[in-house]
Amino acid sequence: MLVLYETPAGYALFTLLDDGKIEKPDSIWKDFETPEQANKTVKLRAFTKFENTTDALSAVTALVEGKLSKNLKEFLSKEISEKEIKKESLIVGDAKLGGAISKKLNMKVISDSTTLDLYRGIRTQLDSLLSGLSSSDLSAMVLGLSHSLSRYKLKFSPDKVDTMIVQAIALLDDLDKELNTYAMRVKEWYGWHFPEMTKLIIDNLAYAKIVKKMGFRSNCSSTDLSDILPEELEQEVKEASEISMGTEISEEDLENIHALCDQIISITEYRTQLYEYLKNRMNAIAPNLTALVGDLVGARLIAHAGSLMTLAKHPASTIQILGAEKALFRALKTKHDTPKYGLIYHASLIGQAGPKMKGKIARMVATKAALSIRVDALGETDTPDIGIENRGKVEARLRMLEGRSGNNNSSGDRKAAGNAKNQKKHAFVASSSYNTSADVTMTSASESNKRKAESDDESSSKKVKKEKKEKKEEKEEKKEKKEKKEKKEKKAKVEEDVKEEKKEKKEKKEKKEKKEKKEKK
Amino acid sequence: MYAWRVTLDLQDYLYPSFSETQTNSTFNCFLFLGDRGGRGGRGGGRGGFGGDRGGRGGGRGGGRGGFGGDRGGRGGGRGGVAKRGGPGRGGARGGRGGARGGAKGGAKVTVEPHRHEGVFIAHGKEDYLLTKNLVPGESVYGEKRIAIEGADGTKVEYRVWNPFRSKVAAGILGGVDNIHIAPGKKVLYLGGASGTTVSHVADIVGPEGLVYAVEFSHRSGRDLINMAKKRTNVIPIIEDARHPHKYRMLVGMVDVIFADVAQPDQSRIVGINAHHFLKNNGHVVISIKANCIDSTVDAATVFAGEIPKLQEQRIKPQEQLTLEPFERDHALVVGKYVRSK
Repeated sequence: MLVLYETPAGYALFTLLDDGKIEKPDSIWKDFETPEQANKTVKLRAFTKFENTTDALSAVTALVEGKLSKNLKEFLSKEISEKEIKKESLIVGDAKLGGAISKKLNMKVISDSTTLDLYRGIRTQLDSLLSGLSSSDLSAMVLGLSHSLSRYKLKFSPDKVDTMIVQAIALLDDLDKELNTYAMRVKEWYGWHFPEMTKLIIDNLAYAKIVKKMGFRSNCSSTDLSDILPEELEQEVKEASEISMGTEISEEDLENIHALCDQIISITEYRTQLYEYLKNRMNAIAPNLTALVGDLVGARLIAHAGSLMTLAKHPASTIQILGAEKALFRALKTKHDTPKYGLIYHASLIGQAGPKMKGKIARMVATKAALSIRVDALGETDTPDIGIENRGKVEARLRMLEGRSGNNNSSGDRKAAGNAKNQKKHAFVASSSYNTSADVTMTSASESNKRKAESDDESSSKKVKKEKKEKKEEKEEKKEKKEKKEKKEKKAKVEEDVKEEKKEKKEKKEKKEKKEKKEKK
Repeated sequence: MYAWRVTLDLQDYLYPSFSETQTNSTFNCFLFLGDRGGRGGRGGGRGGFGGDRGGRGGGRGGGRGGFGGDRGGRGGGRGGVAKRGGPGRGGARGGRGGARGGAKGGAKVTVEPHRHEGVFIAHGKEDYLLTKNLVPGESVYGEKRIAIEGADGTKVEYRVWNPFRSKVAAGILGGVDNIHIAPGKKVLYLGGASGTTVSHVADIVGPEGLVYAVEFSHRSGRDLINMAKKRTNVIPIIEDARHPHKYRMLVGMVDVIFADVAQPDQSRIVGINAHHFLKNNGHVVISIKANCIDSTVDAATVFAGEIPKLQEQRIKPQEQLTLEPFERDHALVVGKYVRSK
């Protein structure tokens, strides 16, 4: 019976002199108590040295993965003759490697737990068994190999792509936090000079841009803010600047405020750029997950798990409450109800669900997310088919649940009223965020179409080329003007939307707080 | 010089409780160094396998007498043990003057060996646990160093070992009977992390010993490898400790396995590593974090539950002690691996 033993210096092949010993693993340690006994139990049959460190590294990486490397195959087929291969059996330390050897070399291989004691014995007496190799040489090789192996592992780490996402989402959060503090600071600071504007302009970027552009508020009436603000708002700001009750500030103060504004503007720009990058990365790495829960939530999930692969190994129940560990462990300890959702709460699918349905939908989204993640991590395809399909399923279920709850509640008047209100509000939220953007693009598109049609008519009626050219120029001017107007309208709309959303958010928050208070009571 | 001062300040900031507890609860640890008699009040949580505990404590108390006497004589100036004179470094740090207590430049510090071989204690204004620096002149993670000049003019450098950052140090200060990590020993360290504790263990085992440090995380493995570059007795292994066969070709037979893996199945992990690499009658030192195994029951129940799991892996638990006040709900379990009698 032969024993394969791997050392950092090379492969060793031992002969087990008494085959019966492997059947009694519990007493085999006695045969390795002293070097002499060990030499009577096993005998070194062959040893092949690794030529250099790269050779050793490639051999050992193959061993770690349980693959039969080329030089090991050569070694084994050289040392074990054809005859022996049929008769003898080989003891291997790793079951996976054993399987590979028996498949490739057609040899009987033993690699179960009974071999453990034999290997312990050989490891104990290795110095005396490998007569040609001094222990200091061996330890030097161990050191060299371990370093190169670990370096190799770090260098070709499979989850390095995920780290980019993890870092990017962390930076995105940091930037948001930073931006908010900076914006608050600039509002506070410039607010001494022009307090009225803080109330008028809510958008941080717009505020910073205006401060940058107009400087002292006395310049307000003479500066053109039309590319930052919609007309009415601009007018309001100008009116407010006339009657402001702010203090005067010096040129030097303004310089510093401007420096802060520059920061805000540049960070905001960078943030959009970073978000774009994250979006692209998420679509490339986890397309299905992104399709299901969105890029931000998906990235947060990956960041929380550490890598896509570890996330893929999490069960759906874990994914559901990822990010709510504190609440979970508190609940487990106090034997209360465990949380219904963690990071996944921010997925739009769960946002769409009514408050009573949120838990149910979170559970379903988590299960579908688990499937999508596994496809992303281990699947071959790059298309978000499964994510989209899953999303459809969850949406269908959501509609079904909502329909059912509506029917149920119609029997009880008060309940129904409450629910209808909720639903109404709900529908309103969804449509407002969706419709406006769609509307704007739709109108602009239709308008431009009309314009085209008009211009076509005009051009067809007048066939002189020169005139045409002139007309074109005119048209272009018109177009520009129109576009500007549209832009303004758009901005105004967006601004309004933002306001509305904020209001809604506030209301929601208040409601939540009330609820919590009630629950506490 | 500036950087040095900054790290010092940071250290002072990091360790405030170190000096605090020293005057309170761990007072006895420093003064009597693991005198069991003084710790009786805390024994409640450690009754696990303690049938013979009383007898043992008595026996050791006798042996300790000499130590106490030794310390008594210290006040009179211990000729042999050197004072800390830093002609070079004292000057560099002179700016700080005597702003704070502790082992500062110019302060008189005496170093004496701890009961555990390879570990030392510094007595100055504050007392510190030390290991002899294997790479003089360098800190691994920004810890303080203390250089002592011997009577014959040779300099020896020690590194301060913070029990709040290292569970081994916490165990030693907590008065563990035998840590089994000593000069010349071969140690398999599971859960090496960034290599802070590993570096101290490497200091203890010295150039004759060997530390195999297993760490799975790539992020902290990076720091571990960098630390191991300087210390040739550390063998870094970036691999999952659950699969010892993946590093079977690197690791030889070891005397001790130290495990700080904080996994629910850590007893099993230690067990399979012991089956592969631990000598018969070798020892196992495990740090158990109760929360990582089961956060729903209290710590004592978790510790009690781990004992049979270890016994299943042929590990005979010998000693258990809590790591309070350094870590909360942690226990250090020392066991003996008996594969065959």
